Order: sequence, then C-alpha cells, then structure tokens
Amino acid sequence: MTEKIKAALTSLSPAAWKIRDEATESAELFFIRQILDMKRMTDVREYTVTVYVDKTDGEGKKMRGSSSVTLNPGTSDGEIREVLASAISAAGYALNPYFDLADPTTSPVLPDSSDLGALSVEEIAKKMANALFSVDTAADAFVNSAEVFAIRKTVRILTSAGTDVGYVSSTVDGEFISQCKTDSADVETYDSFSYRSLDTAGLARAVANALERVRDRALARTGLPGGTYDVVLSDGLMRSLFSFYTDRANVAMIYPGYSEYKIGEPVDRTGKGEQIDLTLVPTEPFSGDGIPMIRRKMIDGGKLTSYHGPLPFCRYLGVEPTGDYTAIELDNGSLPMAELTAGKCLHVVAFSDFLTDEMTGHFGGEIRLAYLYENGKVTKITGGSVNGSLLDASGELVFSKERYSDATYSGPRAVRIPGVSVAGA
Amino acid sequence: MHLDDSAFLSECKPTLRRLLSALTERFSYASVLAADANCKSYHVSRSGVFCGEGTRFSGRGFVIRVHDGKGYAEYSFNELSDGRIPGIVSLIAERLVPMGEGFPIDAFTAPPESPARLSASAEVALHPAALGDEKILSRLSKLREKILSEDERLVDATAYASFREYHEYYLSDAREMEQNEIWTEGMIAALALKDGEVKEYFDTVSGNGGIEILDGLEEKIPYVARSVVELLTAEPIEPGEYDCIVAPDLSGMIAHEAFGHGVEMDMFVKDRALARSYIGQQIASPLVTMHDGGAAASQTATFAFDNEGTPAGDTLVIDRGILVRGICDALSARALGVEPTGNGRRESYKRKAYTRMTNTFFEGGTDSLEDMISSINYGFFLENPSSGMEDPKNWGIQCIVNVAREIKDGKLTGRVFSPIILSGYVPDLLKSISMMTPTVKLAGSGYCGKGYKEYVKVSDGGPYLKARIRLG
Repeated sequence: MTEKIKAALTSLSPAAWKIRDEATESAELFFIRQILDMKRMTDVREYTVTVYVDKTDGEGKKMRGSSSVTLNPGTSDGEIREVLASAISAAGYALNPYFDLADPTTSPVLPDSSDLGALSVEEIAKKMANALFSVDTAADAFVNSAEVFAIRKTVRILTSAGTDVGYVSSTVDGEFISQCKTDSADVETYDSFSYRSLDTAGLARAVANALERVRDRALARTGLPGGTYDVVLSDGLMRSLFSFYTDRANVAMIYPGYSEYKIGEPVDRTGKGEQIDLTLVPTEPFSGDGIPMIRRKMIDGGKLTSYHGPLPFCRYLGVEPTGDYTAIELDNGSLPMAELTAGKCLHVVAFSDFLTDEMTGHFGGEIRLAYLYENGKVTKITGGSVNGSLLDASGELVFSKERYSDATYSGPRAVRIPGVSVAGA
Repeated sequence: MHLDDSAFLSECKPTLRRLLSALTERFSYASVLAADANCKSYHVSRSGVFCGEGTRFSGRGFVIRVHDGKGYAEYSFNELSDGRIPGIVSLIAERLVPMGEGFPIDAFTAPPESPARLSASAEVALHPAALGDEKILSRLSKLREKILSEDERLVDATAYASFREYHEYYLSDAREMEQNEIWTEGMIAALALKDGEVKEYFDTVSGNGGIEILDGLEEKIPYVARSVVELLTAEPIEPGEYDCIVAPDLSGMIAHEAFGHGVEMDMFVKDRALARSYIGQQIASPLVTMHDGGAAASQTATFAFDNEGTPAGDTLVIDRGILVRGICDALSARALGVEPTGNGRRESYKRKAYTRMTNTFFEGGTDSLEDMISSINYGFFLENPSSGMEDPKNWGIQCIVNVAREIKDGKLTGRVFSPIILSGYVPDLLKSISMMTPTVKLAGSGYCGKGYKEYVKVSDGGPYLKARIRLG
C-alpha cells in the first residue's frame, strides 16, 4: 500500500510529502466488579498522508501549504489518486510561510525492547487485569469496575526529504473505579493508569493506594470554610499542573505571541520557592516528522533553556526541530512531606476534573477528597473547589523530597502552592 | 439535497453478508457495523492557516459483535475481503474468545433482536465540498479580519469550521439499516493579553446540515470582541452561593453534566448512579423538563439509529421535576430488563459502545430575561462555559465558566469576574431553578467524553434560567 501511495504521489508531484503508516492491534478487557463484561480486540492499519504545496504570495514570499488525509488498506489506485489530488488542492489554499521538512533520518524499524514486546497483547491484558484485581479483596472498599487496554503500534514514517524510520511500541492503559460502601456512605474515586512495561507490582500498588483513598473519601466531611489556602497537589496531578510550563515553552504558543517565555530568561518571578528544573523526556524513538527524540533540558535553575514543539513553528523561530513531548522529569524537591504539609494547608488528592489552563495560568476544580492540615490535626474533606493561578504563585512553589513516577511524569511527589482561593462547601 | 450513499459501503455489502453468514455458523449471534467517515477541519489564526482530516473521526472500518455462548465479544478491523473472512472468524474463535478464560463471567444467552429495516439520508442545503476548501478558508479569513478590526487591543482572533460526513451500515440476521449523516460546526474566538494571561472569548454555530451554518457567525463578532476586552479587567470572584442567571450555553452544560451523565444506564448496571433509586421522585424544580435523543432535536447528534442498530429516540428524562427514566444502550438494557433508547454510541468503529448522550436539553418556560435579571438583588449572569465533569455516584457537578457578569439591584453593573468554577449538589441546583425563558437554544460544537476518553459528538442546550449556584 505504501508503494501505491508513493507511486500516486510521484505522478501528482506535490512539492513534498509525508506518510505515516500505523498498524495498531489491541486487546481490551472490561469488568464490572471482577466479572468480565466484554472482551475486544482491534486490528487497524491506517496511512496518514500529508502533502505540501509551494507557492509564492503576491509579494514574492515563498509559501508552503499542507493538508492531510487518511487512507485505508485496500483502497484502489484510482481512489488513492483522487483523494491525494483533493488534498493537494486543499493544501494550495492553506498557505503559510515556507518551512523545510525535518532533516532526513533513516533507521530500520526499531523493535519494542520493553518486557511488553515479548508478549501478545492478549497476554499483556490478562496479566495486568489479574494484577489489578490481586489486591481487590476487601468487602468495604473494592474495585467497582475496570478497563484494561493492551496496545501495540507499529509505525513507519517516510518523507520526500528522505526520512524512513520506524518503531514498535507497546503500552498498557486503563482506568478503574474504586468504591467504598459503609453504613453511612457510598462513594467512589476514579483512577487511570498507563505503563510502558509489564509493571504488575506498580499497578497493584496503585490500586491498593486508591482503595485506601476511597475509604478516606467515605469518611470525608463537607463544611470546608472558603478562603485562601496553601494548597498541596501530588502524584498524578503533578503532570497536569506542570503542563502550564511545557505549554508556555511550546513554539505553538511562542510563535503567535501567546507566551512571552524567552531562552535564557526566568520562567518565574524571584520568590521564596525553588527554581524549577525540568527536562522533556521522549516516549517514542521518533516524532511524527521522523525526528530522533532525545532528552531535552527545558528549564535549568528556573531559566528557559529550550523551546519545543511542532516542526513548522520551530523552523519559523530558527529553533532546532525537537518533535513533540508528553513526558517530563522535574529535578526539584527538598522538603520531606511532613515539612511540606506543616502548618495550615489543604492537600487535595482527588478532583472531579483537575484542569490547568495554559492560556490564563489558572488551575483547579471541584474537590472530591482533600486532607486539611491545621493545628497538628488532619481532617478528611470533600466538596468545595480550588481556583488558583500559577502566574500569581510564580516563584513561590516548594517541592517534596519524596518522588513519584508514572508514564508521563517523574519528579517530586508533591508541590505546595501558596495563596490559592478555595470555595467552601 | 440528500446525502449520497457511500460507494465504499455499497461495494462492501455482499462481502459483509457473507461475513455475517460465516459468523452465525459459529456463534449464536453476530452483527456487523460498517462505517465510512470523513471529518475535515479548517482553522485560521495568527499561527496560520490549516486544512485537513484528523484520524480520530475519519476512516473506514468495521466492528463485529458476537455472542460466544456466555457473553459478548467484539472485533474491530479495517481490512475486508472475501479472502479474509476465514481468518477473521478464526481470530475471534481462537484468540478473542479464549482471552476471557480464567475470569469469572455472568453467562447469559443472547436475547432476540427485534427486526428492523431502515434507510435514512440527511438533507444538506450546501455541502462543504460544494462550497470548496478555498471559499471556506476565505470566509474564515474574512471573519478573522472582521474580529480584529473591532478593537486594537485584540492580539489574535481565530475562525474555525469543521464537518463530519458519516455513513453507517448495520447488519444482523434481524436488521439491515443504513444512514448517511452530516454535522457541521463553526467557531470564532477573540484573544487579548494582559500580564501574561491570554484571555479568550468564543462563540459557535452548529447543526446537522451543511456549511450554510457559517452564515450565523458574523453577527456574533461584536459581542465576542467586546467580551474578551471586558475580560482584561475581570476580577477573581468571592467564593459563595449566589442567585444566578444562566445563559443557554451553560444551562445546556448543566443539563448534560447533571442529568445527562447522571442517567446513563450503563452506570445503573455498575451501581454507579444515584439516579437509579430516584426514578419517579422529585429531583428538580417543577419548571424542569429535560429530553435526550438522536431524534429529539436537529443538531450535531441527530441520527437515524445508534451504533448498535437501535433506532434513535426522544427520551423524556425529567418531566416537571420528576425523574422519569434514563438513557440506555442495548447491552445495559438487557442487563436491566428495559428497552434500549438509541443511546449506544461508539467514538468510532475502533471503540466499544457505551451509553452516551445525544442532544440533551431543558424545555423552555414562560419568563422574560428582563424579569429574571430584575429579580436578582445580588448575583451573576453566567455565560461561556468551557468544560464540565459529571459525578453520577454522588450527584456532584463541575463546570468551568469563562464569564460571570455582576447583577446588583436588578441591573448588570458592568463588572466581570473570571474564571469561575461552578460546583455543587445537582438536586440542590435543579430544585432552585425558579425562572426560565421560553426560547431554547442548543449548541453542538463540543464533544463528550466518558471520563477522559471515548469522545462522541453531542449537543446540549436550554433556555436562560435562574438558579441558586455555588461559585468559586
């Protein structure tokens, strides 16, 4: 099929092109309590073709337009040509300043070297499902429902500039609902997971922690007074919070002027907190443009050291093309958790939906479970909402010494943010 | 004009019938859903001009559902030929079915499927392909220029359009159904910058017709531009409970999050919905009547049948404050012993079907907006929500709202507060609804997730309404 597409592209001769050939197989298990409710498998292959058209504008400036289409295996030669011709026509109207494709890179298809790579997707799904339920043994707090997705992708990226790279990657993702039912309460919490290895112990630990947390939610009381609090966020919320920094350093926000971050300049004001040290971490060997992905220091001692993001904007800003990142490492953290939560603070561990807005710097959501630390006492709280601003808290963040890792984050387990507005319940 | 049938699906039909025949030789029940979808979007902003398809909502493929003697299993794939049929049947029998071994199963026999034959094609006044990429992008560029001309303080404006034309063919021993549908949407947004914060205000148009809906965007420009400039001086709100007037975009989100998600009956099966024990009881003000259905309105979630072959419906969820019933996919309906409502939907042929909303809205009332604002001593006029989240278990609700306009002594003061987190206990909120305007507006430019995945196109709406709400 790739050869058919290339033949059509050769005859239609756009200025440049890119083909992403992605084959995905998955095994999926869906449970209600520990009862298997549904099982699924998928086997899908798609070819995403991006075509580029070059023109000059009225002032003689070189422009490049692009447009993408998706093709299925088995599509006839005639239809391939028709679809690509339509994309070339569309690209001719979606003109932007010219940019070069990524420098050519060639590589054989890199195998999946993780421990998932040696197993079938069904084996992965079954092993992780068994791990999930291995700690689900209590009557009062239990797994209400769960979904497990074992996914294997085989990706090949080719461009007219000479790139030909590929790789195989496997992940196991999913979600589970923990429920606690007592005489006086019936509550639940939501958790998701994502692993790039067969981390059965890690998943079992995550479920065990979630079951403890849902017990706390059953004991939590409403009645939190509204006001201004130091708020502590931790664990799975850390990546979402720090998306503010990664998004603000993304060339997609720098280019149009939405973000004022500059290389060599501080990302935060000077304050009582720690200066941030943040590294971008690749999750695949190649980006969608075929760029070899590497670890990239983005913030060093509080100063921006690297932009990152989509290829065209990197080119426009004169920045080395980086590819797109989803995972980060933070090197901060000096306070033990006991000191981080000293004095009065609100440690929120579960929200209805925790959101960080990269445009305004606001973060927050409705509280499903929090621990109020005050006068040496810890009270379990539910209800109310947090509405904070990372711009207001700039330079004031302090981090825990203890560490936490998941598929997209490795760094301090927790951060304390001063002066956050909390609505009571 | 009516949408044409998909040539691809028409060519597939004989092979699909042979596939079904091979499956029913092996399994007590089988069905196939075949899909052919094209989703294209257009975007103009300071970042540039973009036009193209996305893989999430475009593509051609198939999903088989079989009953293996104990329960259901599904296989999604996108390469079909007569030569592949034996391999597909073998994969299901030899890999998919055995995957369930070792796990406890509540075995059941497949219920009979009621016969159905249906063929439906949506009507389109102006198909996006007929207008063409050049003219669509040109219209969006002109809208963007017009927005920017409104106020020199704007740092950017964006104009966006998207459509999804989809064709589906459902085949089982009892049913043969096909539909050709389309939804279209447009959006304009204005952006302004202050002290590192990018303020944004947007408005949308949407429907289940053609690109003619973009005609409705131009009249929204002055309000969008004015609103984002007002956000430059927005203040943080003092958290508390307030009398609020809620604009239709937010009343729709409340309907969606509170008693849309709250009554998805796959949550009844899982003991995750408090609503199950409140059927027949008063859970809202007597002013509140709420519907959901693919046939309940003409919007982006209008279709003839759902992804399980159940004809679309119009479900009366709340009737004058009384919770009547929920919405239900076919598998949950079997488990609960009820009829499905046409709400079994998949993100695409690649994903599982869940109970999902469609077009969800409150009916209107009889009050005027002027009377509603005049009735408030101190409170807020809320508009422009960006996201929401459900809590069917404990009836919580969370909406992120962009704009709260202060009302004092029955008048808007001009002060604006932003951003706002609306939260609270759903029955308290719904029981506090005391006034509603007659006109109902629906908007379908968003997507709904089941948690954080499985995105489906939905619309929601309602009238302006007055309620007591916790804001923070």
